[in-house]
Amino acid sequence: MRVLLTLAWRNLWRNQRRTSIMLGAIVVGVWAMIFMNALSQGMVTQMIEDGLSVIPGHVQARHPNYGDDPTVNSLLPDNDSAVSARLAELDAPAWTTRLTVPGVISSERESRGVTLIGVDPARDASLSFLADITIEGRLLDAVDDRGILIGRKLAETLDTELGKRVVIMSQTPDNTIADRGFRVVGVFDAKVELWEETWAITGKQTLQGLLGVPDRVTEAILSGADYRDVSDLAEQMQTAVSTDARVQTWLELDNYLATMLGVMDGFVLIWVVVIFLALSFGLVNTLVMAVFERVREIGLMLSLGMRPSSILGQIMLESMMLLLIGLVIGNLVAWLTIRPLESGIDLSMVAEGMEMMGVASVIYPDLRQEDVILANVVVLVLGFLASLSPAWRASRYDPVEALRKVD
Amino acid sequence: MDIVLRLAWRNLWRQPRRTWLTVGAMVFSNCLLVFMISLQFAIYDLMINNTLRAFSGHLQVQAPGYLDDHRMRQVVDDVIPLAERLRQQLPDADVGARATAFVLASSDDRSYGIAIYGVEPAYEPAVSSIPGLVKQGRYIEAGDEVVVGSVLARNLRVEIGDELTVLGSGRDGSFSAAVLTVVGVFDSGVPDLDRSIAEMPLATFQDVFFMRGSGHHIVVNAPALADVDDMSQRVLPLLPDGVVLPDWDALQPGLQQMIRADMTSAFFTYGILVVLVAFSVLNTQLMSVLERTREFGVVMSLGLSPGRLGRLVLLETLMMGLIGLALGALAGGLLTAWVGSVGFTMPGMEDMAARFNLPARLYPDFTLATLFAGPAVVLLFTLLSAVYPALRLRRLHPVAAMRSA
Amino acid sequence: MTARLLFLSLLIFSIPAVAAEDAGQIIRAAVDHWRGLSSYSEMTMTIHRPDWERSMTMQAWTKGDERSLVRVLEPRKDRGNATLTDDNTMWSYSPRINRVIKIPSSMMGQSWMGSDFSNRDITRADDIVDQYEHTLLTETEDGEFRVYEIRSVPFEDAAVVWGREELSIRSDHVVLEHRFYDQDGDLVKTLSTLELADLGGRTVARRQRMQKTETPGEWTEIQINDVEYDIDVGDSLFTLSSLRNPRN
Repeated sequence: MRVLLTLAWRNLWRNQRRTSIMLGAIVVGVWAMIFMNALSQGMVTQMIEDGLSVIPGHVQARHPNYGDDPTVNSLLPDNDSAVSARLAELDAPAWTTRLTVPGVISSERESRGVTLIGVDPARDASLSFLADITIEGRLLDAVDDRGILIGRKLAETLDTELGKRVVIMSQTPDNTIADRGFRVVGVFDAKVELWEETWAITGKQTLQGLLGVPDRVTEAILSGADYRDVSDLAEQMQTAVSTDARVQTWLELDNYLATMLGVMDGFVLIWVVVIFLALSFGLVNTLVMAVFERVREIGLMLSLGMRPSSILGQIMLESMMLLLIGLVIGNLVAWLTIRPLESGIDLSMVAEGMEMMGVASVIYPDLRQEDVILANVVVLVLGFLASLSPAWRASRYDPVEALRKVD
Repeated sequence: MDIVLRLAWRNLWRQPRRTWLTVGAMVFSNCLLVFMISLQFAIYDLMINNTLRAFSGHLQVQAPGYLDDHRMRQVVDDVIPLAERLRQQLPDADVGARATAFVLASSDDRSYGIAIYGVEPAYEPAVSSIPGLVKQGRYIEAGDEVVVGSVLARNLRVEIGDELTVLGSGRDGSFSAAVLTVVGVFDSGVPDLDRSIAEMPLATFQDVFFMRGSGHHIVVNAPALADVDDMSQRVLPLLPDGVVLPDWDALQPGLQQMIRADMTSAFFTYGILVVLVAFSVLNTQLMSVLERTREFGVVMSLGLSPGRLGRLVLLETLMMGLIGLALGALAGGLLTAWVGSVGFTMPGMEDMAARFNLPARLYPDFTLATLFAGPAVVLLFTLLSAVYPALRLRRLHPVAAMRSA
Repeated sequence: MTARLLFLSLLIFSIPAVAAEDAGQIIRAAVDHWRGLSSYSEMTMTIHRPDWERSMTMQAWTKGDERSLVRVLEPRKDRGNATLTDDNTMWSYSPRINRVIKIPSSMMGQSWMGSDFSNRDITRADDIVDQYEHTLLTETEDGEFRVYEIRSVPFEDAAVVWGREELSIRSDHVVLEHRFYDQDGDLVKTLSTLELADLGGRTVARRQRMQKTETPGEWTEIQINDVEYDIDVGDSLFTLSSLRNPRN
């Protein structure tokens, strides 16, 4: 075996230039596979994470009518305190409850329709986009915080700023208008402009008080460790709320995101295979050449009694060695190019376009182990298969014919 | 020259398997490029057309500042006569006048804030896809009629024949209200449109919202996207003072950017394919040059210049590249044509398509440009990658070359 | 009519002339007295814009500080349009569509009948009493009257967007001016009394103008043509059916 290895190694470097070029092709191919996949995965992961922070969470329980009528008329049937107690007993990484209703925000000069979100700041922070916004001023500090957070864009539209008062108006369950002044305690910059325009966030208890719905919320939210695995979570949520609440996972709540996840998994494989196919022509070509050059030598070996399977093995070994070296360098180059980009690739010049796709304008490449393994395995397996034909042909040479052959 | 050609052709087939494998790499990449580029541009065209045709159009005559604020008072005066004049003077353009108001739409038990558009029922079908997407009932004709989006109809729980009350502010800010009869429900498949838009006859709109003959914009559609600039130049002199004419890029700034973002990633993909082909060609041609070192030495010692030998190698590569281009374009064209006839779809495309104003099935079509742009680049890189082997010949020393095994 | 406007004009007669009272008392006394009062008036509202102007004549009934009914008489095309307010809620009726529509909260910020008053301005009349802290700034002589300058700053939770409001009230309780400031202290709009008259047995601000600082060419004027106080108005006047079916 050692002899075979040494032999294959030597054969590989008989024609240094050819091997180097082939190696270059493999490296570029492998780099492209991994780099491109890290980029697209980064985009999708971010899209999903952003999406989840908006939904928010992996699983939600709401009144069945909330989808059609997202107002204070569609409160979660259960009391907030009861649901919270049951959610707390579950061993979930994150949960919260929220009161989310439409409202109107007014400054001295303008009025705008907004989504009012009453949150429990301590619980919500880990779940929603609140976790990674930059804020001027402060975040909310309690469920009864009487301050309000609004987006930068909304603040500009309203011609108001941090520290000023705004008036919030909303509908109560008995259809009268509830209104109150709130002080802007924080102005946030969000990744997507739409969020900055439409969200006004205050303490959950404060909003409950304003609307006259003490201890009631519109949604209970539960998040697990992995957004891909939510079915258990949905069952847990079901146990925490009464049967007339509707429990939905993010996959059901946002078809587009769920689809993107599926499409991207498919895309990763397709991309790897396409690149490999483009590569395979060169690989087979190289092997064919290598065999062709050595026809006489192979004939000699065969006539000296070497078994055809050894010839086959040797050629395969050469091919695998070539691929392995290519993979090692390719992986390394990919890693080296992705590393410096992990702080984010800024695409703000096309921000509005990215927003249409539901993506923020900074992409963080996501080098996923599975994808790297997938790329390597595909290259090795398909490379093995592609090399079989030339290697098999070489082992089938008729020694006499081969020896007579002159190039 | 003829003899050089023949020589190159013969050399190419000395190693048929190698040549075919190299050509195979080109055909594979070219075929893929033709298909992907065709599909990509089909998507862009649809995206632009569907988005623009859906509503906003190629050009809009507006009051200055309306684009930023959409204020009720920023009007185009005498909008119907102006649209009529444009229609007469620009027979190849589609023209339709509109007015908009943000109103509260109420059925018996529900209310939603929507945008209601006053449109010219006779001309709207030419400038918007919405009239053609009426799935129940019919499009508006005149009087107190309204068509609503399917989601809005569901949310309001209204059906054909039901009454819809709209409540808003008129041009002078005064209280405006109307009771309209739902005559049709459209389903564009774009949730935003289906949820928040209703259309009524412009004349009725002007009456209800005290527009005094004015409107908010006139859509002018050129025959094709490429004619928009030209059309813009022809429309401008026909306009009265005090109006502006933003084009689709100003009306929908996200669209161009989305396409640009997508193109960047697409071109990265294509670039990788081309580079891989180039490596393949480089390898093949280098091998073929090295193999023939002795032969080249002989020829050179007979007085043939290295330059001409280099050209021979490039000629061989060109031939190989042309075969790859022809077969690749053919295969790509056939693939595109086949997919174009059955329609392209993939799992999950429906959801993605809805997001980007696309139908669930795409019918890519190739043009000369999409058919040959990709393969031409491949050919270019093929030739470039043969430059190195060709240049190596210059360094060839006849005697040393002859001696080499 | 607009309860707030009426309220302000009512201030004029409702407070007995007091020598030196603090600002809160001046305003609070006014409102305490006003509660339970009723009125009927006819007025003309003129909306002026740089390129046009229009006038509407209206009749209005009020009872207490929460209920009002306003009906348009002129111009002809708007005749019969009516607004009913009760507490914070507002309904509109238009004979053209023969429908009563409850104004949703999202539209409360919009202009009332195209004027420089919002629907909110119309419904929130008693804000000025409970939701502000009042300070008497100065007291000056003006002939036989004294003029009180009162500064009213809304409480933290008040549903008021202004930074502060300032009122000039004469000792015979004519409100001469009501100024609205934003939270930077810039004047946003001013309601000023242009003309006084003896109507319904009292001195009232006959003509008032609401003027936004940023748009000098735009204003709304309300002129009271006739007014009666302490009339007998039944509660049934302030109902949806009365809104829909005028009895007079």
